[in-house]
Amino acid sequence: MSAVAENTAAMQQPDVKDLEQFLFHEARLLDEARWQDWNDLFVENGEYWVPASHKQPDPKNHVSLIYETDLLRAVRIKRFKHPNAFSLKPAPRSSHMLSNVMLDEYDAEKNECVVSSRFLMLQYRREEQDVFGGGYTHHLKIEDEGFKIIKKRVDLINCDAPLGNILVYF
Amino acid sequence: MHYTNEQIAALVKEDKVHRDVYTDPEIFKIEMDRIWGRSWIYVGHESQVKNPGDYFATSIGTQNVIMTRHTDGLVHVLFNRCSHKGAQLIGDACGHAKQMRCPYHGYIFDTAGTLIHIPQEEGYAGSPYGKGKDESNIKRVARVDSYRGLVFASLSASGPDLRTWLGGAALSIDNMADRSPQGELEIAGGCFRYVHDSNWKMFVENLNDAMHPMVVHQSSAGTAKRVFDDLGMEQDKVPFELEMLSPFASDYEFFEKMGLTAWDNGHSVTGGKVSIHSAYSPIPGYAEALIDAYGEEKTKDILSINRHNTVVYPSFTLKGVITSIRVVKPIAVNKTVIESWVFRQVGAPEELFQRSITYCNLVNSHANLVGPDDQEAYHRMQYGLETKDDNEWVSQHRYLGADEINEDGEKTSTGTSDMVFRHQFETWKAYMTKEEAA
Ligand code: FES
Ligand SMILES: [Fe+2]
Repeated sequence: MSAVAENTAAMQQPDVKDLEQFLFHEARLLDEARWQDWNDLFVENGEYWVPASHKQPDPKNHVSLIYETDLLRAVRIKRFKHPNAFSLKPAPRSSHMLSNVMLDEYDAEKNECVVSSRFLMLQYRREEQDVFGGGYTHHLKIEDEGFKIIKKRVDLINCDAPLGNILVYF
Repeated sequence: MHYTNEQIAALVKEDKVHRDVYTDPEIFKIEMDRIWGRSWIYVGHESQVKNPGDYFATSIGTQNVIMTRHTDGLVHVLFNRCSHKGAQLIGDACGHAKQMRCPYHGYIFDTAGTLIHIPQEEGYAGSPYGKGKDESNIKRVARVDSYRGLVFASLSASGPDLRTWLGGAALSIDNMADRSPQGELEIAGGCFRYVHDSNWKMFVENLNDAMHPMVVHQSSAGTAKRVFDDLGMEQDKVPFELEMLSPFASDYEFFEKMGLTAWDNGHSVTGGKVSIHSAYSPIPGYAEALIDAYGEEKTKDILSINRHNTVVYPSFTLKGVITSIRVVKPIAVNKTVIESWVFRQVGAPEELFQRSITYCNLVNSHANLVGPDDQEAYHRMQYGLETKDDNEWVSQHRYLGADEINEDGEKTSTGTSDMVFRHQFETWKAYMTKEEAA
């Protein structure tokens, strides 16, 4: 944690309001199924991670519900449009709601910050609706044009429960 | 309805099975008694109860059990039910306890299930209940045995011993364990519990169904290859993820050639020397570690075995190359939980274990790019078979009459034959129509 960097006017501790707007925008892209636009929010090889256990320390030595960087995200996104992706026909829909947004860490030197929030996500497909909830941790790069996602970690409160299909991004 | 043995037998023909085997709750109940109550069932792995006092709560069919390591060093499998008024004794998935204390009236048992304390025991004076009396101990399952660290239990006191019962499927377990330079596996890296809204047999059949991947997995495997090319990644540095996904879209010829082999008691395997796991890049230091432990010759033998999916009927399936298993937990006639567990090959490079983790994320997780399409197929089948039209039968005609028995007495066929399904149902019928446990 650092104090506001005074000599770089453009780069200063982000305002929670701006962070919120960014996260709301991200949620909207997901709900509107604008997967490619959503993917563009990541830095190159940005990480998207949904652990499969509570307080899971890393994605390498323990299974994860999803652990994706560029290649796998691109595959999943392309698959959404594939005519023979049977589990996605009819297409799932989602509604992401998030709140409790807090700036947890700010690194003035690297121009990065860590933001935590809580979320609820409804997933609907073919007469079935599921409710998921938990915490988001966004590790963000602060750029002139706005924020970019270095890492997004999604901690479901029921990450280790018996679960059915998860078809959309949290 | 109440089924007579004749009625059950009539559900299975040589070339087809009746749809009720997947949809009738009464059949499911009988299966729990006569298949899951008689067969050897996978319970867990010894590494989950390394030390005396360790326990792991799980199930055998629809019966809740606890696997424990007692102070005598032995692994016990007990029913998870207090001997007093039936409260579930262990309420969490795993842990460590010197003694097990019932949360209701405080009876205390040791980790072999023997009652060691009752509060105010004098109230039982003159009754057949109390310390040192068998009625007060936790009931143990009839038989427990293990093979290469995999613990099995049977609720039936009679039947073949574990090794005999495994038959040719034992080689799949051996090969999985031998892939550790120390011949030792260890459960690690957590597990998935994936809820399927379909009958347990659909999953068990699908693991050796070589006619589905090119249809069901076209959207994931085909897409993976295209995305890789589009991203312009270096062709000689193919990431694991792609090596794993691409072969799912292999053509019919490839799966045909993998072949099928089946053994007594319902077990079977796809692939032998080739499988969808054959073309993975070597992991630095791994072959060397095996050669150090086993020598060149045996290492070559171990790595030449490339079985795809082994079905150890009815309770689990395994992949030796990935060193992972999927455990079948039937919940109801149309509900099954599939647990995926990964083994660390003790003494092998960590990268090998991490590759297995990546594989499971990609193929076995609830949110992966492969499994939901399989699940959709099971769902459609379950839903389709609930439609009680004139077609009461599920076809198993493919390559009927073309099965062969090889020199080892194994049943074999071309990879896309329905041989395995016919074989599973032959076993199913045998278990289901025996009145007494045998
Ligand atoms: S039910 Fe366990 S002590 Fe009473
Ligand atoms: Fe499949």
